[in-house]
Amino acid sequence: MSINNLISGILSGDNRSIARAISIVESADIKTREKIIKEIYNRGNAKIIGITGPPGVGKSTIIGNIAPMLSDYGKISILAVDPASPFSGGSILGNRIRMQETLSKKNIFMRSTSNRLYNGGLSEYSWDIIKIMEASGSDFIILETVGSGQSDIDIMNIADITCVVLAPGLGDEIQAIKSGIMEIGDIFIVNKIDREGSYIAIKDIRETLNLGNKIKTPVIGINSINKENYDKFLDYIIKWDKKNYKKKYIGKLKQIIIEDIYNKYSCYIDNMEYDENTLKKDPYTVAEAIIKNMNEIIDK
Amino acid sequence: MEDYWNLKINEIKKSFKSNDKYNKWKEKTLKPWNQKTGYKDKKYKNSSDMDIKELYTEDDVPENMDKILGNPGEYPFTRGIYPNMYRGRLWTMRMFSGFGTPDDTNKRLKYLIKNGETGLSIAFDMPTLYGYDCDSKRSVGEVGKCGVNVSSLMDMERIFDGIDLSRISTSMTINAPAAILTAMYFVLAEKNNTDLKDISGTVQADILKEYIAQKEWMYPPEAHLRLIRDMLVYSIKNVPRWNYISVSGYHIREAGSSAVQELAFTLADGFYYIDLGIKAGLNIDDFAPRMSFFFNSSINFFEEIAKFRAARRIWATVLKEKYGAKNPKSMMLKFHTQTSGYTLTWQQPLNNIVRTTIEAMAAIMGGTQSLHTNSYDEAWALPTDDAVKVALRTQQILAEETGISDVIDPLGGSYYLERLTSEMEEEAYKYFAEIDKMGGVLNAIKSGYIQKEIAETSYRRQLNIENNEETIVGVNKYIDENEKPINTLKITDIAENDQLRKLKDLKSKRDNTKVNESLNKLREAMKDENINLMPYIMECVKNYATLEEISNVGREIYGEWKEPKIY
Amino acid sequence: MENGRNRKYTEAPIKILLAKPAIDGHDRGIFVLARAFRDAGMDVIYAGLLPTPEEVVDTAINEDVDVIALSLLNGAHLTAFKNVMDILNKKDVHDIAVVGGGIIPDDDKPILEKMGVTGNFGPGTPLKIIIKHVRERAMEVRKIKEDEYK
Repeated sequence: MSINNLISGILSGDNRSIARAISIVESADIKTREKIIKEIYNRGNAKIIGITGPPGVGKSTIIGNIAPMLSDYGKISILAVDPASPFSGGSILGNRIRMQETLSKKNIFMRSTSNRLYNGGLSEYSWDIIKIMEASGSDFIILETVGSGQSDIDIMNIADITCVVLAPGLGDEIQAIKSGIMEIGDIFIVNKIDREGSYIAIKDIRETLNLGNKIKTPVIGINSINKENYDKFLDYIIKWDKKNYKKKYIGKLKQIIIEDIYNKYSCYIDNMEYDENTLKKDPYTVAEAIIKNMNEIIDK
Repeated sequence: MEDYWNLKINEIKKSFKSNDKYNKWKEKTLKPWNQKTGYKDKKYKNSSDMDIKELYTEDDVPENMDKILGNPGEYPFTRGIYPNMYRGRLWTMRMFSGFGTPDDTNKRLKYLIKNGETGLSIAFDMPTLYGYDCDSKRSVGEVGKCGVNVSSLMDMERIFDGIDLSRISTSMTINAPAAILTAMYFVLAEKNNTDLKDISGTVQADILKEYIAQKEWMYPPEAHLRLIRDMLVYSIKNVPRWNYISVSGYHIREAGSSAVQELAFTLADGFYYIDLGIKAGLNIDDFAPRMSFFFNSSINFFEEIAKFRAARRIWATVLKEKYGAKNPKSMMLKFHTQTSGYTLTWQQPLNNIVRTTIEAMAAIMGGTQSLHTNSYDEAWALPTDDAVKVALRTQQILAEETGISDVIDPLGGSYYLERLTSEMEEEAYKYFAEIDKMGGVLNAIKSGYIQKEIAETSYRRQLNIENNEETIVGVNKYIDENEKPINTLKITDIAENDQLRKLKDLKSKRDNTKVNESLNKLREAMKDENINLMPYIMECVKNYATLEEISNVGREIYGEWKEPKIY
Repeated sequence: MENGRNRKYTEAPIKILLAKPAIDGHDRGIFVLARAFRDAGMDVIYAGLLPTPEEVVDTAINEDVDVIALSLLNGAHLTAFKNVMDILNKKDVHDIAVVGGGIIPDDDKPILEKMGVTGNFGPGTPLKIIIKHVRERAMEVRKIKEDEYK
């Protein structure tokens, strides 16, 4: 497979090509990514549905249930972001367990990715992956993250609609408020409403939202066992408008430029001789010298 | 409820005396000796991560010894549930068997009966364990491989052909489709004109440990628990000598847990089933006496014996104090033991005979009611007849040559063992408190907490082996470079083909209208939580509806189940 | 963004799918392996219990893994591993390596090797040997992929 074959594969919706292209943009240099993205940029147009929430609230189960329902309205792709081990850099991606059967039956493309690759720029890098998924003809792209860290929250900037999932009785409401995901939710889903305390959980979330001037933000209680209220949830997703197009575009632009600049300077930083003398100077002065040097080379 | 567990923890803590004698000896004699000889002490731990001292003294024995030990046959049964234990009746030598076709298994059972086995124990193959027939797409290549295949009542009839059900007791290792296999056994008895009151046996039916460890299920937990309730209620009323559940720690241990995790999670499951019976409106003293347990016996001799003793003490104490049971029989923890499969090594397999012997001794000294000894070749395949014979002979030698069964709880009073028993008990209570905090054992399972605890222990242990901190003879020490393969049992696809043919034949001969009628009735009954499903399942079985056909009714109504992510 | 970017994509962490492609719930070993592979710096996908061979291959393709590690302790390896290999071949996938493990009799090992399933490690195999084998097989298939995107 060459890059050209890969691109025609993506456009025709071939899962192997899509998967391989994602591997490439996950780690390749800016030039290779550019080659791919340039060719597919104007192809496809999907609604991006972000699903986030603390661990254990049933996000994967919800996606496993809602994805086949959505597939009546168009082609679905799923991108799930899992945390990497802070020690080894490796990761165990287990999000598929509760969905695989549905995915295979409905031929839904799903990709797991670990957040290690994207230190500090998760949303911009997943932009590339999402572009590939869009170009493959997806109408809906579901983006799953664990809403526990800032980067997981940032990623939701890329979504057209952000659904925050919570479950009663785990103290999630408080955690959610602390971690900032109450700010970003367009819809709040309370899963496991068959459980004790669900009424109070819904009420607490409602009150918090009202205090934060989000009176209109819907809070939906659902039951993933008998699919109660899934129809309401689906309805919101279908009717929701796409948003933030400009903001996302500028965000991506910034990332490309910053990355490019960083790459140009980083070889200087990495290749510099750090002798005693250098280390005595303050880093501002050293940086200034590098930039000056660099600009001279570019000017030539 | 948490308060009760904390109360127990404090009681145990208070019962530990100060350790003056040991400390004095350590300062005066041990330390100078170690300094003189240059011996550097390291930390010794057992599987439960407890620190093990080099010496235990009378100070280590809990203060309230008389009260918590009890005599054999007396509350809290720490030393044994019967007054005369093995003098009255030896443990039942119950060898788990089953492979290939029902006819193969029938032959094996008759062979074991001839060789002096006193209780039968049936192993089923993977398709049967998951509620699939031999002709399911998922069963290809698995029929008869890990046990016997049962796709319908016809297969059950073949397994027990020529065996009088009123004169033997049968243990069936089946969980997810337990209600169906139990129904088959009951119907078989009825067809042979054996009164249900005269049959005896045990069905494993412990679905909670499936979600924890063995991972063989069909429906979400709540659906299986309803079926267990129905079996419980039906057998208490109609089959008085039937043990409707065998709450199992065996698989929890095999999945990698420590001894204390096995103890704690198994008993926590047991308490859940007690709650289930009470919720079904039964009086605790009517059904608790028929509950039985199934533990693992692994290689750390004293740790295992302490575990068995702690299990009896905890069960008796909690049933009496927390649940208010009045009948001593409700408080007696009866258990079956199987030696550890995990400790069997593929390398130098004959060494496994020694391991199994030691594990069997721990079970006997721990007061087990029945015992399965593994065969030395089971890390390779299902055992050959010869290997099974050695395993059975191991029990017979222990019973009749060594004298260890002559005395009840022969290690009782050992400073070390009594201390270990109390520490096990304390750690188990801590787990109960933790589980209650999470909203009970079902929530702890559904959130993956228990599974993760076990996986962590299992991984830590594997790293210890990799780093040679823990020795496994023949695996990471004393390795034999010139290992020769041993003879193993080969199971051909003949079993699969034979089963397929017989099932096809059955489906063409049975009355399909009756089959559908009974399945439809079951479907309707399933929708009403308050109906007992056992009679409906028995009706389906009688009409030769297959295992999968009956299971599928539940799959339709309840849906299937996928495990929570634990990493 | 300095983390792992700007390299040839074939230098990314090894991606491995762990699967038990039949009805077999013995998952102690597979969890130990998942942890060990992760601690060796790999991205591990765990397929969960009871995936069909189709689901295993779908997952492997979607995730673009380097290696599929199959494990069975129930004696069905000859049938189940073959099912996975057949589907891979049918889809013309030759840049995913397949390794096996479990309770596999010596006689079956050459048969599995011939199918393309290598390793076939039995109980008690040290983790480092398994990890080494996975790395070697991953490098083999990465060579194929690298040649394609020169």
